[in-house]
Amino acid sequence: MLRTSLVLALSLLVCGARLVRAQSASDLLGQGVRRYQALEYDAAAALLERSLVHDSAAALPDSLRAKALTYLAATELFRSRRDSAMAAFRQLVLLNPRYRPDELIFPPQVTNLFQEVRRATRAIAVAVPPVTELRTRSDSLPARVLASSLADVVVTLAHEDGTPVRELYRGPVADSLLVKWDGLTAGGNPADDGRYILQVTPRIPTADGPRARQVVLDVKKVMPDTLAWPLEPTLLPERTSGGPAFRSLAAGLVAGAAAVALPSIVAPGKDASGARFAVGATIGVAGFVGFFARKPRVLEANARTNASQRDAWKKKLDAVRAENSARLRTTRLVVRAGPETIADRRSP
Amino acid sequence: MKTIGSIGMLTLVATAAAHSQGRSTLAFRGDAGFVWVRNDTTAAGAVGPVRLRGPMFGGEGRVVFNGFSLGLGLSSGTLQTADQAVKRDLIEGRLLVAARPVPWLEMSVGPFVRAYVTDSVTERWVFWQARARVEAPIVTASLTSYVELWRALSSDVNLVAGAGRVQGGEAGVVYRPPQRPFWLRLSYRLDDAAVRARGSETLEAISLAIMVGGS
Repeated sequence: MLRTSLVLALSLLVCGARLVRAQSASDLLGQGVRRYQALEYDAAAALLERSLVHDSAAALPDSLRAKALTYLAATELFRSRRDSAMAAFRQLVLLNPRYRPDELIFPPQVTNLFQEVRRATRAIAVAVPPVTELRTRSDSLPARVLASSLADVVVTLAHEDGTPVRELYRGPVADSLLVKWDGLTAGGNPADDGRYILQVTPRIPTADGPRARQVVLDVKKVMPDTLAWPLEPTLLPERTSGGPAFRSLAAGLVAGAAAVALPSIVAPGKDASGARFAVGATIGVAGFVGFFARKPRVLEANARTNASQRDAWKKKLDAVRAENSARLRTTRLVVRAGPETIADRRSP
Repeated sequence: MKTIGSIGMLTLVATAAAHSQGRSTLAFRGDAGFVWVRNDTTAAGAVGPVRLRGPMFGGEGRVVFNGFSLGLGLSSGTLQTADQAVKRDLIEGRLLVAARPVPWLEMSVGPFVRAYVTDSVTERWVFWQARARVEAPIVTASLTSYVELWRALSSDVNLVAGAGRVQGGEAGVVYRPPQRPFWLRLSYRLDDAAVRARGSETLEAISLAIMVGGS
């Protein structure tokens, strides 16, 4: 019990400290801004620098970090420390190549310096929505490639292990460019489940050039529902059965044979006239007549009905097959994007 | 034996009455045929086997209920030997009660009388028959074959020796032309009547009949 209480107290202490530090980072930013506005540049610079040095757990979010860097650069400029101002702006450009200082807040000498640094600092970035659901071929994943200045880039998609999947774009980016991925691999097939890396790299990497950026994409394939195959039609018999014909023949032959054999059955050993043969033969012939009258024959009407049923079923089958094929072609993908990071030089 | 025949007849009537639905029809049949008789008895003063033959005509009327019928038949003809030395009139009459327990089977019982008449004497056979007739369609409703066997439950003949086993059979084909009210029947019949220890009398007949009515 005592141990549990101690662990709980320690946890609360750590969390509280983190909260205080996070609050203090934004507080420091606020205080720094106020000092800047009060033209107390030395104090402002100290506060702003302190707000930026916090570790990642308590660091300012990117939007506030950009704000802090802008105020720090302006402060340094007004402290006549141009190099420090340029360094702060360079960090800002690398942080967000599309960021622009507010011209209503900052005077032209600040914004001009920023533009100068921006032109000199070559940075690229890539922004992907956190979660995107797309149907392959018809929808696409939007990836916005940002550049601080004109840059020649290659946008690629690769497996987590670096195996290339597809090249999405190769060419210049002046300010921003929307690159779309339709969920297919280079082979035209929907991407399998797994982790992918969307990477933006300069076409010609240089030491002072922009660093490659990447976003990890977690792709999950959602298999579409397909239609059930249509049931085969119940077909009508297309020929009459041979049973009735043979029954007719049997009825004639048995009765005919009975007529012939009647004297042997009823009066064995007695002479009989030949009349029974005439009657027996007649009955037998009648049996053959019945056989041929009822022999199996094609039922044209049934055959026509069956043919139309088969055609209708085949059309349904083809339609279902086409629909299922289309559904399978347009597989749905759920893409979850991780945070943008600087790419490892070894990765593609 | 007469008692057995009576019981059989009553059973058939009861069975048929149970199936009867009240509507009755009439059926008539007219027969024309040719008869051969071989007589190995020495009755009526004849010496040795006598072979007679000749045409025969007759008819039968039936009241047909649903699955049950009551019939009365009569036929006659004049038979003679090939050399025309012997001449007899043949007269047959019968009364029957028939029932159809299943569509393909007709069972009947009834008395049968056959008489050979000469100028001087009449040989008269009286027996109670039990008959079973099986029908098989060759072409449904228009062409049917049948085989019928019968045996006497009791028999009597006015010969001195008396009657022995009496049995017979018939096979034929019935044709009902489409859209016509009559039926045609071709049949072959053979009856054999044994005279106790004194030979037998065999009757063969081939006949063509026309039937009207019934079902």
